[in-house]
Amino acid sequence: MKNSRFYIGLVGVAMVVTFLIWTGFDKAMVYYLTPVELMAKVAEDDTFHDIGVKVSGRVVKGSYQAEGAFEHYFSVVDLAREDASFRVEYRDILPDTFSDETEVVIEGRFRRDGVFEATTVLTKCGSRYEAMPEEMAG
Amino acid sequence: MILLGEFALWVALPVSIWGIVLAFVGGHRKRGDLVLSAERSVYAVFFLLCLTSLGIILAFVGEHYEYRYVWGYSSRELETYFKVTGLWAGQRGSLVFWVLLLALFSSIAVFQNRRRNREFMPSVVGVLLTITAFFLGVLLFADVNPFERLPFTPANGQGLNPQLQNYWMTIHPPTLYLGFTSFSVPFAFGVAALITGKTDSRWLVVTRRWTLLSWFFLTNGIIFGMRWAYEELGWGGYWFWDPVENASLLPWLTATAFLHSVMIQEHRGMLKMWNLSLVSLTFLLTIFATFLTRSGLIESVHSFAQNTRIAYIFLAFLGVATMACLLLILWRKDDLRAERTIESFLSRESAFLMNNLILLGSAFAVLWGTLFPLISEGVAGTKVAVGPAFFNRVNIPIGLVLLALTGIGPVIAWRKATRRNLERNFVSPLLMAAAVTAGLMIAGMRGFYALATFAICGFVLTILVNEFWKGTRARARIEGEGPGRAFLHLIARNRRRWGGYIVHVGIVLMFAGFAGASFHTEIDRSVEPGDQIRAASPYGHEYVLTYQGLSSSRTPNMWQWVALMDVSRDGRRLGTITAEQRIYSTADQPIREVGIRSTPLEDVYVILAGVEDFEGAVLNESSAQGAVFQVLVRPLVGWIWYGGLVITLGSLIALWPGAGGPARRKVQATPASARLAKV
Amino acid sequence: MMIVLGAVLVAAAVVLYVVQPVFSGEKAPLVSLDEEFTEAEARRHLSLVALRDVEYDFATGKIDERDYRRLRDELAREALDALQEVRRSREQAEGRPPPAQDTAADDLEQEIAAYRAALRAGTLCDRCGSANAEVALFCAACGRRLESERGEEAAPAARS
Repeated sequence: MKNSRFYIGLVGVAMVVTFLIWTGFDKAMVYYLTPVELMAKVAEDDTFHDIGVKVSGRVVKGSYQAEGAFEHYFSVVDLAREDASFRVEYRDILPDTFSDETEVVIEGRFRRDGVFEATTVLTKCGSRYEAMPEEMAG
Repeated sequence: MILLGEFALWVALPVSIWGIVLAFVGGHRKRGDLVLSAERSVYAVFFLLCLTSLGIILAFVGEHYEYRYVWGYSSRELETYFKVTGLWAGQRGSLVFWVLLLALFSSIAVFQNRRRNREFMPSVVGVLLTITAFFLGVLLFADVNPFERLPFTPANGQGLNPQLQNYWMTIHPPTLYLGFTSFSVPFAFGVAALITGKTDSRWLVVTRRWTLLSWFFLTNGIIFGMRWAYEELGWGGYWFWDPVENASLLPWLTATAFLHSVMIQEHRGMLKMWNLSLVSLTFLLTIFATFLTRSGLIESVHSFAQNTRIAYIFLAFLGVATMACLLLILWRKDDLRAERTIESFLSRESAFLMNNLILLGSAFAVLWGTLFPLISEGVAGTKVAVGPAFFNRVNIPIGLVLLALTGIGPVIAWRKATRRNLERNFVSPLLMAAAVTAGLMIAGMRGFYALATFAICGFVLTILVNEFWKGTRARARIEGEGPGRAFLHLIARNRRRWGGYIVHVGIVLMFAGFAGASFHTEIDRSVEPGDQIRAASPYGHEYVLTYQGLSSSRTPNMWQWVALMDVSRDGRRLGTITAEQRIYSTADQPIREVGIRSTPLEDVYVILAGVEDFEGAVLNESSAQGAVFQVLVRPLVGWIWYGGLVITLGSLIALWPGAGGPARRKVQATPASARLAKV
Repeated sequence: MMIVLGAVLVAAAVVLYVVQPVFSGEKAPLVSLDEEFTEAEARRHLSLVALRDVEYDFATGKIDERDYRRLRDELAREALDALQEVRRSREQAEGRPPPAQDTAADDLEQEIAAYRAALRAGTLCDRCGSANAEVALFCAACGRRLESERGEEAAPAARS
């Protein structure tokens, strides 16, 4: 049948796209956790120290220290439970909207010494702007 | 006047429900009087929503902070310009704005078709008013009423987020919304075609310009958003695969697919069901995008005790609309059979189909990645997110294939490409691609994706330039016109074709700009006045930025610290760059304003990352001038904006009314093509 | 007080405007009044556009002679069929029997040639779609004035 080659092409495209999505996931997926969940995961599985995770929480008031514009230290606490918190170390420019008590999403690795080494810090604009204004997360 | 606006919002809902009922009943019973009444309610709703919007704007300008929405997005210090645009600064106002635009487009569609396409109109009016009524219902009953009052009257508002006080940000949301809402019209006609059973070519002809218009707005909206991110967010990028960005990309991808697949139906009578599905899918995605941008569902599951009611309402609407579309299409399945089948894999039909499939694949990947945190949490209980790496990995290869298709599609033959056709059209572009690759590799460029992008750009540009050249030459010969005149006439005589090719040229430029991102360089340095920062550009230039010092000033709205840099390239002075930090009176933390020096080949992007002593700088103490800078060299970023301009130009040409475009009344009496036939 | 008055006025105006047709019996038409846009018209329009594209593709060497002929005949046949249907329905509507010339339009090549000549000269009637002679000022079939597509184009057309 004339069409068969055409359908082979279609199936081929579909398979390539599926393959890309599949492998893309393997390479790029990260767990998105709260501090409480992170603590629980680390406690049950030591390898969680080695993989990248994304954690959302709140900056502890008064915990922020900086050395220059490129070295920042602060603590992040769970939004719901005050006892789950850890130190964060970040070596890049902080977003404009970062301050004490902002909600942040940090991405990076939770080291064995209990310090979170962040590679990106995103802020959420808190209650000040009601719902998060469009596109602020970038 | 503000109260009147609030009142109008309440009146608009019953009026639109009345219109829905009368439109469908009138269409079913063939009662012209009921249909006329329904059409009048479209105009009436538009009028009422104008009053509502006017009310909101007046509340902003008149500083009525007793309204929660005005209080949250404005303050006395804000410039009037930003007060007026406060209408779409936040969730509540932008929902009003959305439905206002929808009512505007509905009114235009009804007016345009007051004598034409009458058998479609009852359904069209019914569908458009249903969408309107849904949004009105959300506004009134989902805790997002823009007229909600606070229990007291605050003396001042909270102020507008400084990052939104930017020119691009004031035009980006409306442009995007224009694109979202105008797509409702083709969708309504598609549904009307299904309901009336007239699923032939006619609804395509009727909605062709609407689809193009919507695509035009969507494209520009997305580009404006990128521009805003680049200038305002201060990290030197323009696209972050943020859920909100993805949301606006999704309908764009499917709308692009639709624009192309329509042409297959026109030429070959195939893909009728596919086109109706695409138009429905695109519409559903515009609603989904509005929902995602305005509910904060994805980004905020963990952190915000959000208004979840609105999320469920939107999801319910999306579900019902999806079911309705599916049922309608299945119901008319037998009418939607293709008149012909695809005869060869090497044909334009198949190239277009491939383009469709790939665009949909990309849309699917983006949707999947965006929703994955929700899906994984629902299925596995653990929230797993995917970052930009995922989207890049999937979409870069897909994008490159699409880029190649922008060149292949226009020249491959309909039905079946012969060997001669292929040789004639593809040999020199392929040679060009090889030459570009070789040239760049000799120049020292490495990196597979960047090389592939530039090679494919060369391939496509050769094809397109060749097309323009051939067309102009043929016309010049036959008409005896000069080349310039022949070129202009060529475009004017078939605007959709040549406008489309110009859009393709713009796409090529944009991709070249994207590829430039592989060669970013970044330098962080802490400096005192007189210190120099050296940055190497990938072209081998060396930029030297000499820090001159800080100056501070204050306006009613903010304090600002402006750092001045002197820029020279390879020893030749280019001028100055200023980068700022601002503290707005309504915010506590400083906001950075980046300094950009743009050249056609690369941008120098300067971020004032930190000021060592803010108070000292205000007093202009000479000891308090230390500052920290981040200097980025961003090659080819400008090409993205130039490409955007070319795309705008091309789509305007395709949209331009008149005989050369997709004219309505005239039978495309374009002598050009007929004369070409004599060749 | 003013506000209440204004609100009542607005509401009353809107309700009156919307409801009026139901009571007065004023009607919106349910069939198209601009008769050019029936299904057959749309199909003919699309076929003609497609035909033009095929002509262009052939002229610039994108399709070879055999394919060109096949596609062109296919599309031209569609356009003509649609045109016949348009005329038939129009004449039915006017209560006249279809004239003989339409049913006898068998010579496809000849029809296409006439079409092309009319396309070139801009004398294709935009109401009824008839192909007219290059010098025609009015449509021979329906009497419509044929000026819309001329003007600027008339001069080069005469030269070629």
